[in-house]
This record gives sequence, C-alpha cells and structure tokens, in this order.
Amino acid sequence: MSTATSTSSRHTLGEAFVGRAEQIRRAAIFVLLGAQFLLFSLLLPNFLTAGNLQNIAVRAAPLAIVAAVMTLILLLGAIDVSVGSMLGVLAWVVGTLTVADLGVATVLAAVLLAGAAMGSVNGLIVGKGKVLPIVGTLGMLFVWRAVVYGLWDNSDVFAPPLLPVLTDRVAGIPVSLFVVAVVYAAVWYVLRFRPYGRHVYAVGNDAEAARLVGINVDRVIISTYALLGLAVAVASVFYMSRTGVVQAFTGEWFELGVIASVLIGGTRITGGRGSVIGTLGGVCFVATLENGIVLMGVPSLWNDFALGAMILIAVSADALISRRTAAKGAQG
Amino acid sequence: MLTRLLSDRRLLLVALIVVTVLGMAVFVPTALQPGILLNMSKFGVVVGILAIGQTVVILTGRGNIDLSVGSTLSLAGVILALLATSGVNVWLAAVAAIAVGALLGAVNGLLVTVIGVPALIGTIGTLFLYGSAALVLSGGIAIGGFVTDGFSVISYGTLAGAPFQLIFVMIPLYLIVGFLLSSTRWGRAIYEVGNNDRAATLVGLSPVGVRMSAFVLSGTLAGVGAVVMTAWLLTSRPEAGAGLELMALVVAVFGGTHIFGGRGTLSGTFLAVVLVTLLNTGMQMAGIEQTWQRGVLGALLVGAVLLNNFLGQHRS
Repeated sequence: MSTATSTSSRHTLGEAFVGRAEQIRRAAIFVLLGAQFLLFSLLLPNFLTAGNLQNIAVRAAPLAIVAAVMTLILLLGAIDVSVGSMLGVLAWVVGTLTVADLGVATVLAAVLLAGAAMGSVNGLIVGKGKVLPIVGTLGMLFVWRAVVYGLWDNSDVFAPPLLPVLTDRVAGIPVSLFVVAVVYAAVWYVLRFRPYGRHVYAVGNDAEAARLVGINVDRVIISTYALLGLAVAVASVFYMSRTGVVQAFTGEWFELGVIASVLIGGTRITGGRGSVIGTLGGVCFVATLENGIVLMGVPSLWNDFALGAMILIAVSADALISRRTAAKGAQG
Repeated sequence: MLTRLLSDRRLLLVALIVVTVLGMAVFVPTALQPGILLNMSKFGVVVGILAIGQTVVILTGRGNIDLSVGSTLSLAGVILALLATSGVNVWLAAVAAIAVGALLGAVNGLLVTVIGVPALIGTIGTLFLYGSAALVLSGGIAIGGFVTDGFSVISYGTLAGAPFQLIFVMIPLYLIVGFLLSSTRWGRAIYEVGNNDRAATLVGLSPVGVRMSAFVLSGTLAGVGAVVMTAWLLTSRPEAGAGLELMALVVAVFGGTHIFGGRGTLSGTFLAVVLVTLLNTGMQMAGIEQTWQRGVLGALLVGAVLLNNFLGQHRS
C-alpha cells in the first residue's frame, strides 16, 4: 500500500480518477445489496420476515466464516478452490466423531486439527512448492474429494448436532450471527492492527519487495492457508449442526459462493487490495440471492449461473479500473 | 545426469508409459487387449483434443490457462442435442456446436486479453457460467433420442480396428496444430508472446491478437470434443465435460508445458495423453471408481508441477 501512495504525488489527476473509481467500486457492493433487498422485498411477500432473515443467517454461516479467511488468501494474490472438498472431509470427521460420542471438546479439537493440517498441505504446495495456487488447489480439489469418497464409502453419515446452540436464537438473533460477527471483527482487527495483517497486504502487493524487507513470505502463505483450513473446520461444525448428514458430494460447489462473495465484495483477484468488510457485504449478497431465487420458485440451477455472471462482472470491473490506473500512470 | 535426462520431458514420459504398461501387465492383464485399449482410446481422444487447446493457451504465457474447456464442451454438446432433437440435421447441429465452442472461446479471449481479467479467474467464472448454462438449457437432464443420420460413425466406425475419431479427428488435429506451432509465423508468435511480451511487441506482433487466437482455438476444439463425445454416447449430458478441464490441464502440464508459458511441445502433450489414457484404462479395468481416478489425476497434477519447479530450480 505504501508504494502506491509514494508514487501517486506525481500524477495527481490520474490518481484522483483512480481514487474515485476505487471508492465507487468499494461502495458498489453495498449499493447492490440495498437494491437487492428492495427488489426482493417488493417482489416477495415472504422475504422481509424475521423467520426468513433468520433462516438466511443460519444457512449462510459456513459461507461467511470461510469467506472471511478466503479474503486473506486473495489479498495474498492466491486462491483456494479446494474448500468445498475440504468441507466434505471435515463434515465427515465431525459427523463420524459425533456419532462415536467422543464428547464435544474432543470432536472440536480433532476437526480443528484436521482442518489446520489440510490447509497446511495446500499451503506447503503453494508456499514451498511454488505451485501456481489455482493449479495446486484445483489438483487438491479432486484429491480431497477422493478422500471424502473413501471415507464416505457408500454409507451416508447421519449425526445429531454437535453444538445444538449454533442453530438457536437469542432474542430473535441466531447464535451463528454472533460467531460470524466475532470472526469478522477478529479478521478486520488483525488486518488493520497486527503485523501479520500488514504482511498479508505486503506479500499481495509485491512478494519480492516483501521478501527484501525481511518478511518470511513462505511462512505468511503457509500460515494463511492453515488458517483457511481452520475456518473450513469451524464451518463444517455449523454445516453439520444444520444439515446433520454427510454424503459423497457434501460441499460440492461451496467454493463458488465463497470466491464470489470475496470478489463481489471488492477484493482484487491480483492481491494486495480489498477488505473483509467488503466480503461481509458480498456474503450477504450471495446468501440473499440464493434465498430470493428459492422464494421466487426459480430452479436453483439459475443460482450458479447468477454467481458465475457476478464473478465475471466483478473481476471485469476491477480489470478495467486497474487498466485505467496503468494508462493514467503511463501518461503522467 | 538424472536431471538432464528428466529435462526432456518426452523421455520421462516414454519411460512412464513403459512402466505403466508393465504395471498393467502384472496387475490388470485383461486391460492390455487391443480391443479394450482401442475402445478406451475414445475417452482419451476427447481429453487429447481439449489438451491441444490447453497447451496452446498455456504457451501464450502470462499465466494464461483455460479452465472452462469442460463446461464449454458441456454447453456445446447440449446445444448440439437440442438442435438435433428439434429437427435440425445432426451434422449441421455438429457444425453449430463447433461454432458455439469458438464463440465461447472468443468470450474467454475477450475477458482475458481485451478487458484484462487474469485468465485463471476469468475462465473459472466462465467454467461456472457455461456449466450452469448447460444445466439450465437442458433442465438438468440428459438429452438424447435424436435422428442420428449415421452420425455415430465418427465414434463407431473403425479403420483396422482403430476408431474413426482417433485416426480422422485427434491424430490429424495433433499433426495440423503441431505443424502450425513449429513451422508457421503464428506458431512462432505463440512462443514469442509467451516468452517475452515486450520483445514480441517490438518485432511487430500483437500479443492481444495472438492470445485471442489461442483462446478461440481452445473453445473451438472443445466444440469438436463435444461433437466426438455426442457421437460416442449419442446423448448429451449437461455435465458431460465436468472434470475434463482437470484432465486437459494434467495432460498439458505433464507433457512438459511450462505453466508460465513459452516452453512446451505438442508432442509432449501427445505422449501425456497416451500415458493418462493408459492409467485411466488400468484404473477402470481394476474397478477403481471415477472419483478415485480424478483424485489420482489431481495428485499427478500437483506432482507434475512440483517436478517442473524442482527441475527448473536445478537448471537455473
């Protein structure tokens, strides 16, 4: 970030334009969200009811938690498309250990450990192995899916909720919402005030420069992937509390909603720019879209189509803005 | 010595093919009958056709990649079947499917080269978009039962035991694109743009045009893949291409194409197709489920890139 401001004084006109475009882009998600709420409230009589909004909040918890940490991954200039398959593996762990009646603490410890381990594997491949994140995690998407398949072994796992409190409500507010709020506050705080947060932005802006100022780039990458694994583990506990079943395809396409949320929320696919607050807006948009499509009675197939289109619109807008940035920079 | 031997990927691939054949001879000897191998080659043909496009796209550098080829194949296949069931001559529908593929490839090209979206996310976006469009158009079900007009000859006709799609579609495509890459201005431009954007511009090449042509080629070939697959199965499933982007990517990278472009050969890709088809045949005959097969391929992909990186470090 600091490199961007230090060169900006030379071409102020271009920077003013870019600053404006950036601001509009950052605000876009909230305008979009407002428009979406207005539209659905007018079209769908059942949309703006306490019951429906609570329903959205409970359903969206896994998406929200994983998207918060996926923001860090994208800020690094990386990506992880294997989170859906990881969710499948970890949901199986939660379900099976819950059925085995091992006690809440043991199950939680086991799933968090497993999540961190799986995330670290992805992190090592990208951080130490220098495999392009999209290629490495695409490979792991299929590897983790095969693991789900092997564990599942032709028998669905049915399990009672590990923590029934997660789907409860306190004064009408779902408990999951409190957890999500804590996760976002924590990620926001770390990004803003902790050295690790600055390191994430620095690596995303220019990994080579970050290395030169003494940041252990590999460690930042590996630990962020491990953190993502932890987030997927937490998400799987929420997922199992709500659905109570693991099948061979559990978690398929989960990554689509997560990545769409982060990108629509304004985080750049090229790294270094974005915020977790934007992601929260993106999550609300994606979760509300799914809900609205169901309420409208439109086949849910359209949901993925809409998400794909939203991803393309968001990244196209970002590309056009940074293209303008480059052009203005070259003129100045 | 070992690293030098490994640095021509084709030698390694030939060695791996020999090892795989030996392994099959020991563990699944039934898989090595010519009839079974030729039948399995039908699957390899589809992957092989997609891998040509993938190789060319990756060669153009800048992290270019086409992750949408599987979905492009699905969507082109669904459109082929929809046209054919609505009374359009199936051969005409096949031409339309290839045109659809070219168009979808052009959309990818526009996103990446003109708008400037990084290829990995642009083509992941279209992977979702084309894939869900195929599902929406077909209503999520397989479409079949159209008048075939001898269409299936592409897949079921044989010459000396080898299916037509192998001798009359895939092998000619490898020869043609291989020739174009090695001996024409366009081919040199692909490598030059992939190696050094700026230098290519200085000698008068248009990186945008060159990369655009690669994406259009990839989409067109996915359309061809859709035709071959429909002629084979005589029905179009909206998820027919799911996972094929992984196969095409594995094959291109395993064939020695450097993920950042500029380096790689189509002959390497061809050998990798042979290897992957053999592996698939072996796993299929051994009764290994498809999800496991994809898991193995995923691990191969990661392993291949790790190997490329490791060898690259040794060389520099």
